[in-house]
Amino acid sequence: MSYLNKAAMRSKTGFWPNNRGTILGVAAFAVIIAIIPFTASSSMMNIAVFSMIFALPAIGLSLLMGLAGQVSLGQAAFFAIGAYTHAILLQKFEMPGPVAAVGGVAAAMLAALLIGLPMLRLRGHYLALATLGLGFIVMIAVREWEFTGRTTGIYGYGRPEVFGIPIDNNGLFFWFVAPFVLIGLVLALNLTRSRAGRALSAVNDSELAAESLGVNTYALRVKVFTLSAGFAGLGGVFYAYQVQIVSPQVAEFHVSVELLLMVVLGGLGSVWGAVAGAFIVELLSEGLRDLIPAIIPGATGEVQLIGYGLVLILVIILLPGGLYQVVKSAWAAITRRRADASAKPSSAASVDGGSGEVPTRAFGGLPGEAPAGAGLDEATDAAASDARIPTVSTPVAAGQPILEVSGLTKRYGGVVAVDDVTLTVPAGQIMGLIGPNGAGKTTCFNMITGAIAPTSGTVRFLGEEIQGRKPHVGAEAGLTRTFQNLQVFSSTDVVGNVYMGRYRKGRAGILRGMFGLQGREQYAHEEIAHDILDSMRLGDVAGLAAGDLPFGRQRMMEVCRALAAEPALLLLDEPMAGLSGSERELLAQLLRALRDAGLTIVLVEHDVAQVMALADTVAVLDDGVLIAHGDPESVRNDPAVIVAYLGTDAEEAEAELKELEDQS
Amino acid sequence: MIDFLQLTVAGLSQGSVYALLAVGLIATYTVRHVVNIAQGDYATLAGLGSISLVTAGLPLPVAILIALISVTLASVLIERLVIARVKNLTTLVSIILTLGVSTLLQAIMLLIWGAEAKRLPAFPGSDLTLGGVSIRSQELWMLGALVVVGGGVLLFYEKTRWGKALRASAEQPVAARIVGISPAAASVIAFAIAGFVGATAGVVSSPIYLSIWSGGLLLGLKGFVAAVLGGLVSFRAAIVGALLLGIIESYVAGYVASGWKDAVAFFILIIVLIIRPAGLVLRPNAVRV
Amino acid sequence: MHRAQRRLLVPAAVAASIALALTGCGASNFGGDSGGGETAEDGPIKIGAVLDITGVGANLGVPEQNTLNMLAEQLNADGGIDGREVELIIKDNQSTEDGAAKATTQLIENDDVDLIIGSSRTGPSLAMRPLVEAAQVPTISVAANAAIVDGSEWVFKTAQNDLVVLERILDDAESKGYTKIALVRDATGFGEGIADIITELGEERGITLTATESFEPSATDFTAQMTNIRAADADAVIIWGITPSAGLAQAAYVQLGVNKPVYQSHGVANDAFFEAAGPAADGVIAPMGRLLVADELSDDDPQKPVIDQFIADYSAEFGSSPSSFAGHAYDAWLVGTKAIEAAGTDPEALRDAIEATTDLVGISGIFTMTPENHSGLTADALIMALAEGGRWTLYEE
Repeated sequence: MSYLNKAAMRSKTGFWPNNRGTILGVAAFAVIIAIIPFTASSSMMNIAVFSMIFALPAIGLSLLMGLAGQVSLGQAAFFAIGAYTHAILLQKFEMPGPVAAVGGVAAAMLAALLIGLPMLRLRGHYLALATLGLGFIVMIAVREWEFTGRTTGIYGYGRPEVFGIPIDNNGLFFWFVAPFVLIGLVLALNLTRSRAGRALSAVNDSELAAESLGVNTYALRVKVFTLSAGFAGLGGVFYAYQVQIVSPQVAEFHVSVELLLMVVLGGLGSVWGAVAGAFIVELLSEGLRDLIPAIIPGATGEVQLIGYGLVLILVIILLPGGLYQVVKSAWAAITRRRADASAKPSSAASVDGGSGEVPTRAFGGLPGEAPAGAGLDEATDAAASDARIPTVSTPVAAGQPILEVSGLTKRYGGVVAVDDVTLTVPAGQIMGLIGPNGAGKTTCFNMITGAIAPTSGTVRFLGEEIQGRKPHVGAEAGLTRTFQNLQVFSSTDVVGNVYMGRYRKGRAGILRGMFGLQGREQYAHEEIAHDILDSMRLGDVAGLAAGDLPFGRQRMMEVCRALAAEPALLLLDEPMAGLSGSERELLAQLLRALRDAGLTIVLVEHDVAQVMALADTVAVLDDGVLIAHGDPESVRNDPAVIVAYLGTDAEEAEAELKELEDQS
Repeated sequence: MIDFLQLTVAGLSQGSVYALLAVGLIATYTVRHVVNIAQGDYATLAGLGSISLVTAGLPLPVAILIALISVTLASVLIERLVIARVKNLTTLVSIILTLGVSTLLQAIMLLIWGAEAKRLPAFPGSDLTLGGVSIRSQELWMLGALVVVGGGVLLFYEKTRWGKALRASAEQPVAARIVGISPAAASVIAFAIAGFVGATAGVVSSPIYLSIWSGGLLLGLKGFVAAVLGGLVSFRAAIVGALLLGIIESYVAGYVASGWKDAVAFFILIIVLIIRPAGLVLRPNAVRV
Repeated sequence: MHRAQRRLLVPAAVAASIALALTGCGASNFGGDSGGGETAEDGPIKIGAVLDITGVGANLGVPEQNTLNMLAEQLNADGGIDGREVELIIKDNQSTEDGAAKATTQLIENDDVDLIIGSSRTGPSLAMRPLVEAAQVPTISVAANAAIVDGSEWVFKTAQNDLVVLERILDDAESKGYTKIALVRDATGFGEGIADIITELGEERGITLTATESFEPSATDFTAQMTNIRAADADAVIIWGITPSAGLAQAAYVQLGVNKPVYQSHGVANDAFFEAAGPAADGVIAPMGRLLVADELSDDDPQKPVIDQFIADYSAEFGSSPSSFAGHAYDAWLVGTKAIEAAGTDPEALRDAIEATTDLVGISGIFTMTPENHSGLTADALIMALAEGGRWTLYEE
């Protein structure tokens, strides 16, 4: 059933990039690096050297902005910290070059970690401007501090030597720095495809959904911020070597702007784009310095800024995906023509997301392949039993409490959305949570899963109090959910979504991701994701963009995604809404089978009949108050429930309820 | 004690510039949810423009008036040509975009006016000394400009129907339409106000602090720090915050080291953001971004 | 398949564009010597200059640039040096240290210059020092601080030493009976170490330094510093900086009602000082070269003909009179080209020739260099000037 070719998957693992394009690109890049010093003019060589140096912080910034979705206007600060530390270790402590370089990178990363811990809790404008402020602080600090040489800076530490050869000209220096850029590029590409990279990508699509699958957004962001600073610090190390002095200008705002420009021009989130952007911006800068004074007599100083400003504005308005977008759509146009000619349908998809790139996300989707999701509602006569039941966790014996909610209350100003709800969910059961619109069902869910913090009350999952904690805390312990308003990861395909559900079962972190040491693990998870999709009859659409699925199938996909986490407790928020009759039946069968396998399920549902048919116990919320809790039969007959639901007298209501059930 | 008062006076006048810029930032932020990094460049643009007009022989008041109107129009133009062009104006996009505008404005100023700082002649008035504390008449003009222009914007936004509708237009476009303001018009008005306020800051401060092509960024950022103290929504808190920032800067320069003066604002920014991201005046869970 | 192909494109395009852009004429990027046919002794003589043409040092660097361009033109019109043309390559360091280092590296590696002049200010000059020493290129700085040349084998300078300048100031202060001096100094390399020198020199003159404040060359507001200086209640104040900042500091000083006499440094020896300070400049005393008071020099002053000629040439060319900084550049050019004339462009020979400079009459003074003294001027190179009505006049001590 699975179309996956295991051998092909294996070949995608390991340190080196795993698709032909990337391998070709890296190889071509290596060749260019080898020949440039022989062919370039001396002024071009100078530009090439500085573009290599700045490509490093640009790659870092690209990861931060594209992957973690954070704007940093202070990348120069880490560049400067790397450069200063390196220069000081060389000059004042007379350390050997490699030690000083490691020191420079480590200092930049340490600074980023310490600063990132508090700052990455900020969002949007605040984080961007706080990083900008950080840049100013670093610049002023090095300018005022005796140890950093005040306004003049650190100088007189000499040039590097490699195997006794002094690196004292641009040609050798280029060969000195370029391999690091190449390695950095490969590491960054690996990272974008790794478990951590894909998690960050998911965070950008839906932070809530990603966190509900166990992604600790904040921790990942801090790590990427730190990593990004490491790239900047390494760039600073080379800068210190090349320029032979580190003075406060390296921390200046214009350096951060230049780096930002490189990333934006190259295409936000595209690692290749960052490298290309670095080169083009250096070229632009040098060119404009010659060009502008020629056009405007008497123009002096930083005239290249006019180009920076124009390019920033024009790229954002006209070309939000940067060069990456241009190249990609140009290629798409070419291949479409070719594909039309050969009339071969193409569908390739893998959990690796295909290319070695994360798509630009900040500016919305890129022109990609056309969706092919029409006519998917095929007959579902076969029973679900022919598919494997997804694995579930059973940390406690059936009947033992798995979830204990006590006194749960949420107030918004004067409004009480949920009022003192206390209930216990025993393991191995399906519990239905019903109530009229606005009864507080979803609010309850949100408090249980950590999406919002309760005003008071406790939530115990597997004996641990988790109220007020972020969603990933519960998720890591085995509590996953789906959403009433769908939260699909639209930047990846269907199997990619389900694969994200496996997040909590994976372990590979950023380091392993960068070095490509998680292929086996990733492959296993991908296979499970496919199995789960098959069990829900979604195997045929596994390679489609998640956003292109019909609504009902997206819902099913969300259920698959939640199941992929091998949960102990599954919270489903209106899972039946928007499903076709056959899909409902399939889902109901699956839920029963899962319950029999030991999974505990709580579902909020509008479809009262479905709940009554499915659930072992039913809880009823009305106006934030728990008005009934028991087996379906007793709840059905509870006068309070009937009144709450139908707002009329009990007998009439019961008749209507009966009617409703008969209909379905 | 005289020194203390002297530093306080200096801080207040510097703070009045920050306050005007903060008012401009909030004017656009409340309507458009854009932190305009080019806000400070409006000030230098107006300063340099009025200097050129005075050099060309125009009387000071006329030169200032023309500069104020031109920068106001420039701000509107920026809104129409740049900001309004982007449909999905996310935080990231708005920051990159206004940063681009700021960089472009700076480069244009560099090309037109050159790299050197220039000074507008002082406004009429004579300096005075009060108990050993010397006060420049220009400093009184600066504080006066804050009271009149900053206060005017504050009253407009908080007291008039139009102003309230403008504020509401970000969250409730319908409410704004009821008074006859389309979201597009609201955005234009907000940028016009921001341009005018920024320009005012630029002309009143030029005789003391001079105008230089690159000076706007730091000024604007300090305005932003002040605006953050007001949670990016409260004009009053931002004005008080700006004056406080000016005074603290002045004390740091006087009692600690003048070189650290420009770092003060960013230390305050980072500390405030970490401790109370909603600003100093609002309840922590009050409405924000 | 097609997705795989699409993946090829981005990296391939990046690679192709880089390769295209980088293909230039085949130059060697592996060493200083461009392996052309000409040897070092028969091509044009290459003199590089790194100056603060833009940024905070622009008031210094621009007249220096003008002067060098003018002198190179004159020299080539006269047939160059020994029939060899002189090629002058001027680079802007944007008044930054790393700009100076980058420009110097380019001059050494790409342009293979024989002599370097610069930078305009102390900080960038210090940044250049290790580079030119490693590459063994004779370099003549036009900045002031003695640290630029202290113990250096390859670096010289033509501006008067700050030590000598301070001696003149403190001599004057002592003669007027001042005992307490306050200092407001430039925060960059030019102002560093000044407080220590004053303390040291003041000791033997019974003068103590009671307060030190500093300012960035880009500063425009000096209220905090001057408030502290006012509180220090010294007998006189030294403001040590370059224009425009030192002029703005002067204005703030007067504005705050501090009425103690002010000494400024030779860093304000240009008209820009009067533009920045306005009427507040009146009464300021500063030691500087004779250039700015040329019309008051006696006819038997050995420097007078040189200075008069320079002023005439410069004014004819640029429509304004030269500043002291233009004079420093003139002197650097003079010292450098005389040495090349004598010894050619072999680095060691050239260095030795510069060190052998004796009684060379320049704009700032009469130069005598030795292997130990790379500065070449004595206290005689300075006169005391008084600011009066927007110009400098000879101050009768």
